[in-house]
Amino acid sequence: MKKFGNWLALPLAASLVFLSACSDGNNQNATEGSKASEEGEASDALSPITITMFSSQPNTQWEDMESPVGQKIKELTGVTLKPDFPVGDPMQKLSLMAASAEYPDLIFANNNVNTIINAGGLIDLRPLIEEHGPNIKKLYGDYLNRLKWSKDDPAIYFLGTYGVNEVQWEPRDGFMLQHEVVKELGYPELKTVKDFENAIRAYMEKYPTIDGQPTLGLSLLADDWRIAQSVTNPAVFATGGSDDGEWYIDDESKDPVIHYTRPEEKEYFQWLNHMFNSGLIDPDSFVQKYDQYKAKIASGRVLGLIDSEWQFREPEQALLQAGKPERTYGMYPIVLNETFKNRNFQSPGYSGGTGVGISVSAEDPVRIIKFLDWLCSEEAQILNNWGIEGEHYTIEDGKRVISPEEMQKRLTDPQYGKKTGIGTYLYPFPEYGVGVQDSSGQTYKIDSKEQIVGKYTDIEKEVLKNYGATMWMDLYPKVDEFPVKPWGAAWQINIPQDSDGAITMQKLNEVVRKRIPEMIMAKPDAFDGLWDSFQAELTAIGVPELEEQFQGLLNERIEMFSE
Amino acid sequence: MNYRTTPGSLAFNVFLYGSMLLIGIVTIYPFLNLLAISLNDSLDTVRGGIYVWPRMFTWNNYEQIFMYNDLLTAFRNSVLRTVLGTVLGILSGSMLAYVLSRKDFIARKPISLFFVLTLYFSGGLIPAYMLMRDLGLINSFWVYILPGIVNAWNVFVIRSYVDGLPISLQESAKLDGASDLTIYFRIILPLCKPVLATIGLFVAVGQWNSWFDTFLYNSTNEELTTLQYELMKILSDTQAGDSSQARLGSSEFANQVSPESIRASITMVATLPILVVYPFLQRYFVKGLTLGAVKS
Repeated sequence: MKKFGNWLALPLAASLVFLSACSDGNNQNATEGSKASEEGEASDALSPITITMFSSQPNTQWEDMESPVGQKIKELTGVTLKPDFPVGDPMQKLSLMAASAEYPDLIFANNNVNTIINAGGLIDLRPLIEEHGPNIKKLYGDYLNRLKWSKDDPAIYFLGTYGVNEVQWEPRDGFMLQHEVVKELGYPELKTVKDFENAIRAYMEKYPTIDGQPTLGLSLLADDWRIAQSVTNPAVFATGGSDDGEWYIDDESKDPVIHYTRPEEKEYFQWLNHMFNSGLIDPDSFVQKYDQYKAKIASGRVLGLIDSEWQFREPEQALLQAGKPERTYGMYPIVLNETFKNRNFQSPGYSGGTGVGISVSAEDPVRIIKFLDWLCSEEAQILNNWGIEGEHYTIEDGKRVISPEEMQKRLTDPQYGKKTGIGTYLYPFPEYGVGVQDSSGQTYKIDSKEQIVGKYTDIEKEVLKNYGATMWMDLYPKVDEFPVKPWGAAWQINIPQDSDGAITMQKLNEVVRKRIPEMIMAKPDAFDGLWDSFQAELTAIGVPELEEQFQGLLNERIEMFSE
Repeated sequence: MNYRTTPGSLAFNVFLYGSMLLIGIVTIYPFLNLLAISLNDSLDTVRGGIYVWPRMFTWNNYEQIFMYNDLLTAFRNSVLRTVLGTVLGILSGSMLAYVLSRKDFIARKPISLFFVLTLYFSGGLIPAYMLMRDLGLINSFWVYILPGIVNAWNVFVIRSYVDGLPISLQESAKLDGASDLTIYFRIILPLCKPVLATIGLFVAVGQWNSWFDTFLYNSTNEELTTLQYELMKILSDTQAGDSSQARLGSSEFANQVSPESIRASITMVATLPILVVYPFLQRYFVKGLTLGAVKS
């Protein structure tokens, strides 16, 4: 009996082991059932269809198609969109899809799209666009070529996101000075880094404290990847380059170089080193975290910044809220010396390196491309940007007009998009850029120059007036002074992950994040030595080989784009 | 007891209470700080300098969170999975532990070894996903409970506790005619209360906090969503809002609550319910139940 009992324990233990592997048959059936009903057989143009979608980026304004605009879309197309948004790293979900070969109908994989394409998860859209995509063709125009995947595989796997033919009205990057500083100094000329330095020094000597706290001349930010916005990219911008990530590409020769290897930039970093040693750079610059940086700016005691506009928008809002508009910043196209021109407004043309594609699992790709095509139509673009006529805007003298009350809601209600559905169905779907006009000569987007100027504060207008400008863009060299970049934006060119170049790129990141701050904080006479060893290090990790590899990729891209 | 205060023991006490106080402060400060931030105006927080008291009091951050629709369903699911997962987890874990503790169980060593292996090796994300899919657990509530119901580490903890119980208790029960199941339910389970409370707490907190399985297996079914998953979604929404505004260069949808404030409020919402469980389990941690049960 006793022995028997012991043996009985074995299956007991075993059953517990396998309890964790217990399957539930009912649920499987339920899953399949719901899938079948979703797919249906839709040949009729307006018959209801559910399109599933995975989006690599959450949509803050997603409203389950319950908003007025969402309802309208359902009514006009019969489509119910069922998106799945990621939490955390979307790559995990994408790898699962690629491994299990089970995809939703639409995939927006963002910059991980090569995972899905390599797994054969997306279909070539070219034949579908040819047959069912008149509005898609119209939206992209000649840029449709730029959607091709590569020279060897000229398929179009996704419709590029971001506004096509967008006009830029505000500078994105620059050298910032508080309005108070330029006003106090009588609006000095601000062209070169020397002018910038002098302005900061003059004000700092006059006012060593602001609101009882020590004045900080120039605060930089080197928190992780943000070092690019505030420290390394500006080196390119100040020496006549436009935003190509880690690359600088000459207009004429089209030779790509890792931008740190340019002698001009040595001079720029040397200037930063000089600034640091003169005590004009906030000594915490290279150790502070993003929130500390923001808190400092919000305190109003940082005179100058070198950064992208969106990085300090939040503390600027806080300054406005605290009633200190004179402590917010103006953007100036500062360059290293007079021989350079700031290229902030140089156009890359259209280069939507990411977007929505149709998966191989989609049952009815024709119906889906028709939906995407509808989204590109004038009707849909106006609906998605302006809303519903009579509800969100009215037509006066043939022009779309948004009433001041509605505009107020648009600007101040963070839930506006969710409540109305306006803007919800644009990104990551195709859209016309800011400033592009529809068939009636009005813009698809509601943005206009007047609207931007209308949002300027009084002191901002005053400062601009004294510099003989009405908008910040007036201070910058104009867009037509530069050729459209035939390669789009170089940072979008994929370096194959399995090549040595990708590893070099990784190492480059590490070296830069370590050496650049070290150089800026060094004693002035140590700078030259550090710069030389930095250059030697770049050679050692394989930058010359990387440049050579990239040259090939760049040429292919230029060729593909100009077909 | 005669208690005399010598300078030495006084110094020791001062040191003891002092360091305990310090540890207490270090532990509670981050929590208070987050509480203050969660109740402070989001733009004002950007200016820094919020410690344990909000400067510009507002409920706005919480309103932002509770505006999301699925929160109630999510809360129900989270409670359900926590309760069910903990009860079933403890029951199966302790049952297994009891079996493995029996010295007369022949296959005890190889089976234990088998469990040890699971501590060191796991199948990885994709195989796990495919297994769940083939088992039909995708899109089902049971995916929260079944895969993790037996945790080898918990089993070993309980087993070593059972090993520490006097074997004579089991023997005497057996003499009185108790079956194995009776011994388990009437002797082992009641005696194991302290360790079960500990393990139960681990499991409950783990269940309450997990969101990744929802993301992996049930993200398309809003009926099966869990609180932590929803909160993660809100958080990544606000962060994305941040960067999408940045990308579009448009301030059209400004006035958003910043990720820092949302994170603080979410931490509060996520932590408070599970915090309530602690006092109820507290009393089990102190009791030594076998005291006086065996005289030798």
